[in-house]
Amino acid sequence: MCFNSFFFLFFFMLINYFFFVYFIMNGLSVFFEWEIISFNSMSIVMSILLDWMSLLFMMFVSLISSVVIFYSKSYMNSELNLNRFIILVLMFVFSMVLLIISPNLISILLGWDGLGLISYCLVIYYQNLKSYNAGMLTALSNRIGDVMILMVICWVMNYGSWNYIFYFDFMKNDYVMFIISFMIIIAAMTKSAQIPFSSWLPAAMAAPTPVSALVHSSTLVTAGVYLLIRFNYLLIDMFFFKVLLFLSILTMFMSGISANYEFDLKKIIALSTLSQLGLMMSILSLGFPDIAFFHLLTHAMFKALLFMCAGVIIHMMNDIQDIRYMGGLSLYIPLTSLCLNISNLSLCGIPFLSGFYSKDLILEMVSFNSFNLMVFILFYLSTGLTVFYTFRLIMYVMINDFNLMMIYNLYDEDYIMLNSMFVLLFMSLLSGSFLSWFIFSYPYMIYLPFNLKLMVIYVSILGSILGFMVSNMGIYSLNKLLLSYNLSSFLCLMWFMPNLSTYGLSYIYLNFSQILFKNIDMGWSEIYSGKGIFNILKNYSVFYNIYQMNNFKIYLFSFILWFMILFIFFFI
Amino acid sequence: MSFAPELRSHSQKVCNFYKRAMRTLEAYHVARYVIRYHQVILRNELDKNKAVCDPKEHRRLLRVAENELFMSQHPIPVAKFARSVGIAGGVAYDRVQVIPDWVMDYWHPLEKAHYPEYFKRRECRKCEYIKKWNDGEIR
Repeated sequence: MCFNSFFFLFFFMLINYFFFVYFIMNGLSVFFEWEIISFNSMSIVMSILLDWMSLLFMMFVSLISSVVIFYSKSYMNSELNLNRFIILVLMFVFSMVLLIISPNLISILLGWDGLGLISYCLVIYYQNLKSYNAGMLTALSNRIGDVMILMVICWVMNYGSWNYIFYFDFMKNDYVMFIISFMIIIAAMTKSAQIPFSSWLPAAMAAPTPVSALVHSSTLVTAGVYLLIRFNYLLIDMFFFKVLLFLSILTMFMSGISANYEFDLKKIIALSTLSQLGLMMSILSLGFPDIAFFHLLTHAMFKALLFMCAGVIIHMMNDIQDIRYMGGLSLYIPLTSLCLNISNLSLCGIPFLSGFYSKDLILEMVSFNSFNLMVFILFYLSTGLTVFYTFRLIMYVMINDFNLMMIYNLYDEDYIMLNSMFVLLFMSLLSGSFLSWFIFSYPYMIYLPFNLKLMVIYVSILGSILGFMVSNMGIYSLNKLLLSYNLSSFLCLMWFMPNLSTYGLSYIYLNFSQILFKNIDMGWSEIYSGKGIFNILKNYSVFYNIYQMNNFKIYLFSFILWFMILFIFFFI
Repeated sequence: MSFAPELRSHSQKVCNFYKRAMRTLEAYHVARYVIRYHQVILRNELDKNKAVCDPKEHRRLLRVAENELFMSQHPIPVAKFARSVGIAGGVAYDRVQVIPDWVMDYWHPLEKAHYPEYFKRRECRKCEYIKKWNDGEIR
C-alpha cells in the first residue's frame, strides 16, 4: 500500500507541476463550478479554483506527502496497523487538497475540519496517555478555529453566496466584512498555533515522526497562513492585522527562546516551526502575501527534511528523544547528518540555500519599510535566536561526545529512508532559487545602508557563537546564570501559556462541576429519585409483607377489635 | 490511630532521594565529567551526615534535602529509558497496546459466523487449557 500511495502522489505532483508551469507562464486561472441542485431561488454548487498558487501548493503538498509515505514504509515497519496509518495520511492529503482548491467557504470548512479531525487521529496513533492528552489538546485548539469558520459561513450568508472571492472588491468596508475578517484571523491563528493558541504544536510531537514531518511542519500548520493569503486582499487595511502582527512577532520571539531551553529533539524542531510560522504571519500582516507564500513553501521543504532526519536519529537511539544523551552522531550516520546540517543551515538563512531566498527577502523588506522599532528589533532578535538554537542542536547532536552508554555501535539508516530524504534534500537546495524565478516576475527594489544589509550576518554570527558556548558548559561556566530554576522553567515552558490555556481555563469549571456532581448528581437527586424512591418502595414492601405473612393473626386481631367496638357501641 | 507503621524505612527513602538527586544533576549538566564532578560533591554532602543516629535528626535532614531538591528540580527531567515508566521513563511508554484475547468472546454471533473454523478451534483450545490448568501442567 505504501508504494502504491507513493507512486500515486508522485504522479499527482508531476501533473500539478506541469499545470503550474503552464498556468504561471500564461497567466491563467481556471474556475470550475458544478451545480449540484437548484430549487426555486436556492442552489447548491461545488466550485474549484485552479490558479498558479493552488497548483504550486498542491505540488508541494503531494511531493512531501509522497516522500513521507515512502519514508514510513521503513520507519513504521514494526507497526501492526500500518495500513490504517497510510489511509489516515491519504485522507489528510485529500482534506488539504480540498482546502487548497476551494474558493467556497463550505468546501474550505470541509477541508479545514477534515484536517483537524484527521490530525487528531494521527496524534493519538500511539495509544498511550501522553498521546491521548496531546491529541485532545490538538483537537480542541483546532476546534476553536472550526467554530470561527462556521460563524463566518453564517455571516457570509448575508451576501447570498459562500464564494468569498467575489465580495472582496465590493464589500470591503462593510461592517459584516469587519466581523468576518476578525473571525478568519482567529481561525488562522488557531491552525497556525499563534499566541494564545500555541500550546498544541509542541504537545503534538507525541505523534509518530512521519506525521510530524507531514502534518506539523508543512501542511496543517500552513493552512492558516494559506487562508489568510487568500483573504489578504480583504484584510490588508484592517486594524486586526496590526493585532496579528503583534501576536505573531511575540510568537516568533517566545518560541525562539523556548527552543533554546528545550531538550527534546522533536520539541525543539516544533518550536522552530512555530517561530517560522510567526515569521510568515508577521510578514503577511505587514502586507506582503507573496513573500509569506514563498517562505511557506521553502520552509515546508527543509522542515519536513529536518523531521525525517530526527526520525532516523530517534530510531537509532532506541526511541530516546533527549538531546542530552546524543552526540557525535555525524560519525555514525554521515548521510543523515548531511541532510540534517543542510536543512538546519537552510533554516538559518545561510546564503544560497532555499531558506536564504525567502528569509533574507523578508528581513530586507522589514528593514527597507519604516515600521516600528520593536518590530525591527524582534525580527532580528528572532533571527539570531534561530541561529542560536540551530547551532546548539547541531553541537548537542552531531559534535559533542555520545552520552548514553559506554559501548555503542550505532547505525539505523536504510535506503528507503535515505532515498526519501535525498528527494527533499534536492528540493531544500534548489527550491529557493527555483521559486524566486517563478513567483517573482520582477525583483523587489531594496536599497539599504551597508551595515543594515549586513545586520543579518551580524546576528547570525552572534547566534552561532552563543549556540557554541551554551552547548559546551563546563564545571566553572559563566553561563550557569541562565540555568537558575525560575528563569529556565519560565522560558522553556513557553512562558507558562500552555498551563494558562489548559489548567487556567478549565480548572474553575471542572472544580465547580465536581461540586455540582457530588451534591446534586450523587446527592439530592439520588434522594429524590433513583435510590430514594427505591428505598421508599422497599420500606413499603417490607411494611406490606407484615400483612401478607401474618394474614391469620391480623384477621383474628381485626375480628376481636370489631367485636370490642360492637360491644362498646351496643352495650355501653 | 496516632501511630501508623511506615511502609518504607528511612534508608529506603534516603536512597530514593539520592537517586532522584543524581538524575536531577544529569538533567542540568551534559558532559560526563561535569556530571561526575557534581555527583561526587553531592555524595560528599550526604556522607557528612552518615554517622547521625538520632531519628528525629534523620527526618529533619531528609525534609530539608527534599525541599532543596524540589526547589532546584529541572523543568525538563531526563528520560534515559524511553519505554519505561517512572523517573527515568520517557515518551515511548505504553505505546503498543496489546488487546486481550477474552475480547473475542464478546463478539456478536453474526460476527463470529464469519470465521467458524477459527472459533471452533478456539473453543477446543480453551477446553484444553482449562483441563491442563486443573491437572497442574500449567501454573
